[in-house]
Amino acid sequence: MDQNMNFQTVMLIVGFLMIIAGCYCMIRTYHILKIFIGVEIAMKAVTMFLVLAGYVNGRAGLSQAYVITAIVLEVVVAVVFAGVTIHLYKKYGNMDIRNLTQLKG
Amino acid sequence: MEVIIYICLALLLSFCILAAMSQSLLKSAIFLAFASATLGVILFVLGAPWAAVIEVSACSGLVTVIFISAISLSRIKKEEVQKLYADKKQMKYLPYILIIAGIVIIVAALAGSVALPGTAVESTEDFREVFWNSRQADILGQIVSILIGGIAVYVLMRESKD
Amino acid sequence: MNYLNYAAAVFLLIPIAAIAINNICPKPYMEKNFHTLTGTVAVFQIAAAAYALCAMNANGLTAYDFSILSNLKITGSALFRLTPVSLIFLLCIGMVAFVSVAVASKTIESMRISYVNLLMTMLIGMNGMVLVKDLFTLYVFLDVVGISSFVLISLFRSTKALEGSVKYLVISEFATIFILTALAFIFMQTGSLAYQDIGGVLEGADGSQKNLIYLSIALLIAGFSIKAGAVPFHSWLPDAHQSANTAVSILLSGIVIKIAGVYGLFMVVSLFPGVRAVQIALAAIGVASILTGALLALRQTHFKRIVAYSSVSQIGYILLGLSCGTTVGLIGAVAHVFSHAAFKTTLFSNAAALHEQVGTLDIDKMGGLQSRMPVTSLSSVVAFLSTAGIPPFAGFWSKLLIIIALWTSGSAVLGGVALIASIFTCAYLLRLQKKVFFGETPEHLKNVTEVKGGIKFVEIALTVITSATGILFPLVLIYLQSRGLI
Repeated sequence: MDQNMNFQTVMLIVGFLMIIAGCYCMIRTYHILKIFIGVEIAMKAVTMFLVLAGYVNGRAGLSQAYVITAIVLEVVVAVVFAGVTIHLYKKYGNMDIRNLTQLKG
Repeated sequence: MEVIIYICLALLLSFCILAAMSQSLLKSAIFLAFASATLGVILFVLGAPWAAVIEVSACSGLVTVIFISAISLSRIKKEEVQKLYADKKQMKYLPYILIIAGIVIIVAALAGSVALPGTAVESTEDFREVFWNSRQADILGQIVSILIGGIAVYVLMRESKD
Repeated sequence: MNYLNYAAAVFLLIPIAAIAINNICPKPYMEKNFHTLTGTVAVFQIAAAAYALCAMNANGLTAYDFSILSNLKITGSALFRLTPVSLIFLLCIGMVAFVSVAVASKTIESMRISYVNLLMTMLIGMNGMVLVKDLFTLYVFLDVVGISSFVLISLFRSTKALEGSVKYLVISEFATIFILTALAFIFMQTGSLAYQDIGGVLEGADGSQKNLIYLSIALLIAGFSIKAGAVPFHSWLPDAHQSANTAVSILLSGIVIKIAGVYGLFMVVSLFPGVRAVQIALAAIGVASILTGALLALRQTHFKRIVAYSSVSQIGYILLGLSCGTTVGLIGAVAHVFSHAAFKTTLFSNAAALHEQVGTLDIDKMGGLQSRMPVTSLSSVVAFLSTAGIPPFAGFWSKLLIIIALWTSGSAVLGGVALIASIFTCAYLLRLQKKVFFGETPEHLKNVTEVKGGIKFVEIALTVITSATGILFPLVLIYLQSRGLI
């Protein structure tokens, strides 16, 4: 058991748990903005995986390039999501996801 | 070095669970910011200083500001928040699910003997050379996406003429 | 001689130039003439793709590397690559963009400059996706396409459009998380994400690392299936495609789900060849998509929603073609991408025409429009015959190739299922035709006239393309056989 439990394996396990927590938060919440908190939690796990991969195979520069690109894209998605959410709030008066029932079937 | 990483991993996981389970959205955003800072420490220890800086400044700063400005538009009274969104009931099972998933994953990892190499390979390249020289297609993609973000702010936030 | 280099630069540089021209020119002029600018861009793209196909064929090249910025410090690291498959995808992109612009000249009345900007960035994203040589850059351009489609769907900020956009956004974030996790694990094993470096990863890995690679292949398939709208991740597709403006629905259903989803799965299949589990997974998703899409389309009453569920069903056929693992299946899948682009855009153009002239898209309120709108009715019937796979239209040949590929690669049962599912396709489309175009004309529709202008031109052009591709397809088959591909 000792040779398997180095900190990289622990990091993998924690990362998987964070992804599960993020996905659960995305699925179960009723508040629209909390969905994005779930996305953020899962993205932190992904960032950790990418840098861990760079640490393990010696290409830290390339993994940092990946991480920075992913963070830029994530910020743009956050901006678009906040904009759409603010409009939904103006239409309905609250940020409840159970309001979104107009498209059915 | 390993002690720091273990402590920070524990802090990161607990901040994330607190952010997911918290009742008030403002507290969730603050916990998320703390989680970003902790992740920045982990990234720095793992030998990725540039990623750590951008993670702390962008996720912990920029995304939290976007969040709080969106939250501040939906201020309703605290009791109504809890009744309306019923977060406590929805998120009640998260710790139990995580504990079960953790046990399953640990058993699977030991059984499949998934192990990453214990010793790190020394990194010989500089981030700046790699990023500006050989990832230029990524840079084009980033520029285009920032342009779309600007257009999105104009499209979504313009004053309506009706 | 090096016209190929110019043709290759068209795909990424001309949309950028169009964005610049669009924002610099004076606003009232652009609002009236936006279709000229974007139509020119689309025509350039079709012409460049056709020229590059002929040029590569004449010179016998199978791949052509090029780079946009010629003063890279590292020599020999061209960032983009043209292959015949990617050129066919680029041709489809150009065609669908042209149709979308022609329809938009009628249906988009305001916010035209923003529409042109977003369409150009979506073109850059889609062209980039099929041109790059690196898996991470593929993900970057995939996200660019996704973000521009979120904004395009919610362009007019109606309640339904915002709802469709939010649903698409949330489910698309799942895809992002899955794909990035898979990329991180593959990167852990190989040290680089370029296509040529990933090739041997499955042979070079030992036991425990192989499990991580299998997990990442599964996550990649799940992520790209979400983007393609295949079952069980299809719930965003009808909402997003129904609630967007029709010009945007044409783009989404005609090309975005195929470039973002199907091209990604095509790269997974070509990077990890021979993995039996991948083929089984793709076949299962394909069959489920065909049946679910067809069955759910039978009970809808909104024109665009029926067409959106039909997209789910046809994506299933394309995935079945990919799952065979043989060249015939691949050719069938790419042919079905092209013919699906043709008939799906025809159906959405008909939806735009009906919305313009009749004012509603509820098929229970329509009827007997065949004598009033003959061009729309004829193009709709041709699209229906092509979807159902009836000769001599284009859809017949692509479905035939897929079914032959399934038959010869050993899964005769799936071939039979695909054949029988054509009956369901006929059923829901026949119901659509009957309710809208045949039968009695209600009182309030007695004065409906045929639609004029861009939409009529595009309907006629697409009908001609579908028929011509169907009639001339045997020539394509003879050519492929002479190349030894069949």
